[in-house]
Parts: sequence; structure tokens; C-alpha cells
Amino acid sequence: MSASPFPLIPLCQLPAGETGRILRLTGDEGFCQRIREMGCGEAALVTKLSGTTMSLCRVRGMRLALNHRAAIGILVEHLPLAPR
Amino acid sequence: MAAAPRPGSEGADPALPLPAHIAGPPGRRRTPPERMPVYALVGKPNCGKTTLFNALTGLRQKVGNYPGVTVEKKVGETYSQHGHAMRVIDLPGAYSLAARSPDEAVTRDVLLGRRADTPQPDRIICVVDACNLERCLYFVHQILDLGRPVIVVLNMMDLTARAGLEVRPAELEEALGVPVISCAAVQGRGVVELRLAMSRRELPLARHSWTVPAPIAPVVAELQASLVAADGRPPLIARAEALLLLTDQDSVRVAGSTPLSAVTGAVLENWRRRWTGQGTDWSGTLIKARYEVIHGLCREVIRRTGDCGPSLADRADALLVNSGWGWLAFAAVMAVMFYAIFALAEYPMNLIDGVMADLADRVKDAMEPGDLQNLVTSGMIGGMGGVVIFLPQILILFLFVGLLESTGYMARAAALMDRPMSRVGLHGKSFIPLLGSYACAIPGIMATRTIENAKDRLVTILVAPLMSCSARLPVYLLMIATLLPGDAVPAATKAGLMFLMYALGTAGAFGFAWLFKRTFLRGDPPLMILELPPYQPPHFGEILRQMLERAWLFLKNAGTIILAISIVLWFLSTYPKHPDPAASPEVQIAHSFAGEAGRALEPLIQPLGFDWRIGIGLVTSFAAREVFVSSMGVIFGVEGAEGDTAPLRDALRAAQWPDGAPLFTPLVCLALMVYYVFAMQCMSTVAVVKRETNSWRWPLFQLAYLTGTAWVVTFLVYQSGRLLGF
Repeated sequence: MSASPFPLIPLCQLPAGETGRILRLTGDEGFCQRIREMGCGEAALVTKLSGTTMSLCRVRGMRLALNHRAAIGILVEHLPLAPR
Repeated sequence: MAAAPRPGSEGADPALPLPAHIAGPPGRRRTPPERMPVYALVGKPNCGKTTLFNALTGLRQKVGNYPGVTVEKKVGETYSQHGHAMRVIDLPGAYSLAARSPDEAVTRDVLLGRRADTPQPDRIICVVDACNLERCLYFVHQILDLGRPVIVVLNMMDLTARAGLEVRPAELEEALGVPVISCAAVQGRGVVELRLAMSRRELPLARHSWTVPAPIAPVVAELQASLVAADGRPPLIARAEALLLLTDQDSVRVAGSTPLSAVTGAVLENWRRRWTGQGTDWSGTLIKARYEVIHGLCREVIRRTGDCGPSLADRADALLVNSGWGWLAFAAVMAVMFYAIFALAEYPMNLIDGVMADLADRVKDAMEPGDLQNLVTSGMIGGMGGVVIFLPQILILFLFVGLLESTGYMARAAALMDRPMSRVGLHGKSFIPLLGSYACAIPGIMATRTIENAKDRLVTILVAPLMSCSARLPVYLLMIATLLPGDAVPAATKAGLMFLMYALGTAGAFGFAWLFKRTFLRGDPPLMILELPPYQPPHFGEILRQMLERAWLFLKNAGTIILAISIVLWFLSTYPKHPDPAASPEVQIAHSFAGEAGRALEPLIQPLGFDWRIGIGLVTSFAAREVFVSSMGVIFGVEGAEGDTAPLRDALRAAQWPDGAPLFTPLVCLALMVYYVFAMQCMSTVAVVKRETNSWRWPLFQLAYLTGTAWVVTFLVYQSGRLLGF
């Protein structure tokens, strides 16, 4: 994995309204495989809509709700500007 | 609108020649016999697949089960533009061929031609949500790998503009090389175009191809070769299966009911060991490669026309899922639903009660008095009436479930409830089945099929009967009327007591879920990732269809079992006959097998404050809880106990032990209610749990633990009450 110039944080800590790029998935293999198949794999852009205990996000055009345990396993680099 | 037809895809006769794998090698093939072509409808849940299936097949549908599993099988017939019949199978919703739930496994197995009970589809119709194209194309991409003719239906095209998207079907058709139909199934748009595409004699195979990442290509080739040689799979199915084995680490799950040969297993294991040693993330690499191809496709096909900022739906989600307002909205929705289930359902329930009573009277008048008349009126009509009367509540529940699902709110409610549910180890998705169980545990248990994790699903099934269902209501009402008679006691006190019973059941469900998740069903706290569907106006036609379907299933599944048991119970309470033909019903029932069972049971239930007559009620109400009330009516010689409870209430208050002490003291009434909160007094639930878990182990365990808990808690309540002087 290439080193990121931006800080790596769990998805639950990404501020609402901000966009991040998924860099690493941690935890159970089955969970990682499932969320990759859902389109939340490495390199996908994720926009946080709201929440910390229940993270609401937009990934590849779909809206997802992730509980804290799921969101903490997704490590993202916080991108300074949301891509338009 | 359909995109322009491709060369070679024209034709007017939908009857297909048999596929090569059925018809045999080309050299030996004669004029192929024509048969009805089989289409499979596939797509993710909530993409409008079933709406399209209904639009295509109308009422020409058969709903059943796939043998060996409890997954619903829907098959229908439709006609081509020239009137030729075509069979359509509506496969369960799935996100990927890497199946995670029993429903998804059926979809995968049918598509891979693994199920002996279902023909491998000749053609596949992939229904995708146009607003969520990139995500949906992942599954389509896997299906294109199967090398079968595919039609892609871009559904919900009417919602794309609102989502700020412009989706171009012609570009997608050009890129994939298969027909792409633009559709809005709810409004019936695109159905004719789809039928036309289905009517083509020949459909082009996908032109689209993708390259498996270089580090993985050798293993795909080796696995494919082994699957062909050692497992006898057709080459394209073998390739798709090889890719699946590399996507999902659990090869047993991938292989399903057709285990891998030792040779293929060894090839897979060998590569896994090698990759593990090298630290290669093969699953991630493969999925990423697919998404890269799909992302490129989407760049060509989708143009963003709107603002990328938070939409109205995003704001609504933030409010409904992540704020105090969300809880208020949730409480309001639940209050309206419970009011409708318990108050509005009363009118049709009274109507059904009247009709059944009228029917029983007519039969009574038409038949000679005797055992046969009694069997038909008390055993059969009474038994069936006990089930049919709950139909309005079931229908109202499904109306609300349909409304909440159709509008998109259900997923938000599940997300909201995840936090309290996860504290006891339950999944957020368990909320829907548990909510449904307040009306009836049967549809509630059936609704657990959406829970992917087997342990989470089993825990939900095991605790669902603890949610006080509507069949307990008649028992609670009778006991509260006996405990707190007349108008002297405020209605709020009675309602409070009723609420206490509901709260006790709910606390029991959460407590046992917590216990099971920390003992024999131990697992990590559930991780929840839930796709939030777009908000939409409800589709009343679909909801109505679903309600009728569910109602029929309920009557068929529960009604037949209860009818059989009612006849058995009638026999047990009628025979042997008392020597005196003029003996009262109370004396007759005491003399019957049921009376003997009640007496045999008495030593066991006396510590709970119950006598043999209550024992008979407990035995007979095992068919259905509400039977307790009619049993008490028979035992205490009060007719029409289901309607006005006052005469029965008075009879119960007058009942005594042989020493003259009152039988139904306030403490006994309370103890009886507590017993019914916990006891598994429902044969139909036992049967449904057996079906859903595919074993007798879990329903028997459930029966034992719930009955045991009911006894222990009732004992504690009764004995503590006595010690305190009640």
C-alpha cells in the first residue's frame, strides 16, 4: 500500500460532509470481502453524510448505514476537498 | 425505451432450441425439439425485480418453496409478442454470486445450474437500479461471466433525474453488447420493450470482456481446468466458479450442496498457502479489478447533472437515523401501527367472529345433534375460527410492513434500532422480525430470512415468541377482567397491567438474546452495513398483492396445522364418554382424556397456584393460546366465551378449590398471565421454527427453555406473592 500524504482515520471519525478515500480494511476476512463486494473496497471514495455511532455515507452513488464496529474497521485518508 | 436492437438479435420465435449441454454434441444434433424458454429474473433486493415479475406474469404465478430450504420459489408464465409461452423464475434478491444467506445461495445455485429441482435458465434478465448503477453492475458483471444470454433492465429510470443523474442505456448496451432496456416498473414503463427483447429468437452473448489480474490469472486457469476435469462442470460455469472460490475464502459455502472434488480442493489449498506466505490479498485484488472495470463503464454511461452536495434524502436520513427526532418519528410510527393492529382490527375481527358463530349455528341446525355435529361445530369451525379471527391483525401488520419497506423507512428504522439491539448482541435487522412478532410470531420468524449471519438469525428465531403476540390478548383480557372486575378500577390501571406483560415479554426476549449470544451462540458483536434505499411513494398495488400472498400462506400453513390439532383436542375432550349421557359439559370434560391429562398435570402445576381445570386449559391451548379462553368456557359451563367475557369472568371468580378456597385469586390471575408471557403455547410456531431451521433440535430446545422459564418465573411470582400475604 502506498503511503498517504493525508492522515489515516477510521470512517467513524471522518467529519460529516467530508470525503475520504478508503485505504485499508481491517478485521474479519469475511467482513472485508463483503464490504469490498458492496463497493467499499480500497481506493473507493466515501462521503460521510452524518453520524458517529451510526455512520451514514455515500459510496459509489449508494447510501449506506454502518454501525460503529463496522465503520471503525474502515480506514480512510481524509481528502481536503470533496471531488466534484 | 429499448436501445436499438443488435444485429443478429432479431427474430420472432421465442421457442428455443435446447441448449448444447442438454441437446448433446452439435455433430449428433438433429432438428432440436422446441420447448418453453426459461428466464431468470435476478437483481439486488429492492431493485423492483418482483414488480417486474408481476407485470410480466400477472396472475399466472406459482409460489412454493425450493426443496430442502425455506426460500420462496416464484415461477410464472408470460407470452412473447407472438403468443408463445415463456417461463419466468423470480430468483431471491442477491448482491453477488458470493452468497451469504440462504436466499442468495439459491440464486447462485440456480444460475450455476446446481439445483436438480430447477432448470438452469436459458436466459437471464438482470434488473438493476439505475440510480445505483455502479453497485448493481458488480452482480451483472459476475453474471456475464457465465456466458449465457443476458438482458439488462435499467429500472427506476424515472428517479434518476431526481438523483441528479443522466443514465444512457444505449451507451451501456454498446459497451456490454447485450440488450439494455430502460424501465420504470412501478409505472409499467418498459415492460413492453422487455417482452419484445425476450421474444427474440436469438440474443447476443456479451461482447464485454475483462482481464483477470495477472497474478491471479494462472490460478483461475488451473482451478477452471480442475473443475472441468475433476468436478465435471461446463467450462464457463467452471470459470465463474473458480472466480467465486477466489472471491470468497469459505470454499464450503461457495460449493454449497455440491462439494468440491479432492483434486480441486487441493489446487485451491495449494494456492492459498502460497499466497498466505507471500501476503497476497487475492480476494481484494479480484474484487478491486472488477470494480475498476465497472467504474470505467460507469464513466461512459452516467453523467452527473445535479449538485454533489447533501440532498433532501441525505438531510432526512441525518434526521431520522442520527438525531433525537428519529426516535420521536419512530415512536410515532410504532404508536400508529400498534393502534391499528389492536384497535382498528377489532371491527373485522368481530365480523369474522360473528360469521363463524353464524356458520356454527347453521351447521348445528342442519345436522342431527351428536358427536359428528359437535366435531364440525366445536372442533373444526371453532378451531379454524380461532385462526381466521387473527387474519385482520396479520393483514394490518403486513400493510404497515409493506408501507415502511416501500417508502424506504424500514431500513432507517433498522439502522436506528441497531444501537439498542447490539447491546444484547442482536443485529439491527432483527428489529423487523421482532416487531412483526407482536402481531404473530409466525410471520416474524419468517422475516428473519434477511439476516445473513446464521447465529444472529437463530437467536432472533429463538426469542421471537417472547414478544407478546395477539393470541395472548384474549388470555390477558380475561385475566385482567377477573383480577380487576367492574368499572371501579380505572382503565389506565388495566392498560398498565397489560403494558407490564408486553414489557416483561420484551425484556425476556432481550435477556435471553444476551444470554444465548454469550453462551452457545457466541459470536462477535454484529457488524451492520445496511444499504439505505431511496425514499419513494408507496406502491399500493404491490403492497396489496404481498398482503394477499402472506394471508394465504398464513391460512395455509397455520390453519391446516391448527385444524388438525383442534380435531385431536376435540377428541381428547370428548372421549371417553361419561356413563351418564345427561352429564354437564364440566363433568364430561373431567371424565375425558383431556381431564385425565389435567389431573395428571396437577401435581406439576399446583406449586404455580393452578388446579387440574387450568391444567386442561394449558394443555388445550397448546394448539393456540387463545384456545385457553374457550376451554375455560367449556370447563366452567359458560357458552360464547369468545364474545362477552362477563359471564365467564364471574364463573372464574366463583370457582373454588375442593376446600372452598377461591381458585382465581388476584395472585393466580397474575401468575397465569406471567405463565403465558413466557410459555411456548403455540403448535404453529413450533412447526414454523422446524421449517426455518430445518431441524427438530431448535424447536424442541425452544419449547423446553420457554416452558421451563414460564414455570420457574410463575413459581417465583406465585410463591413470592404468597409469602408477602397475597
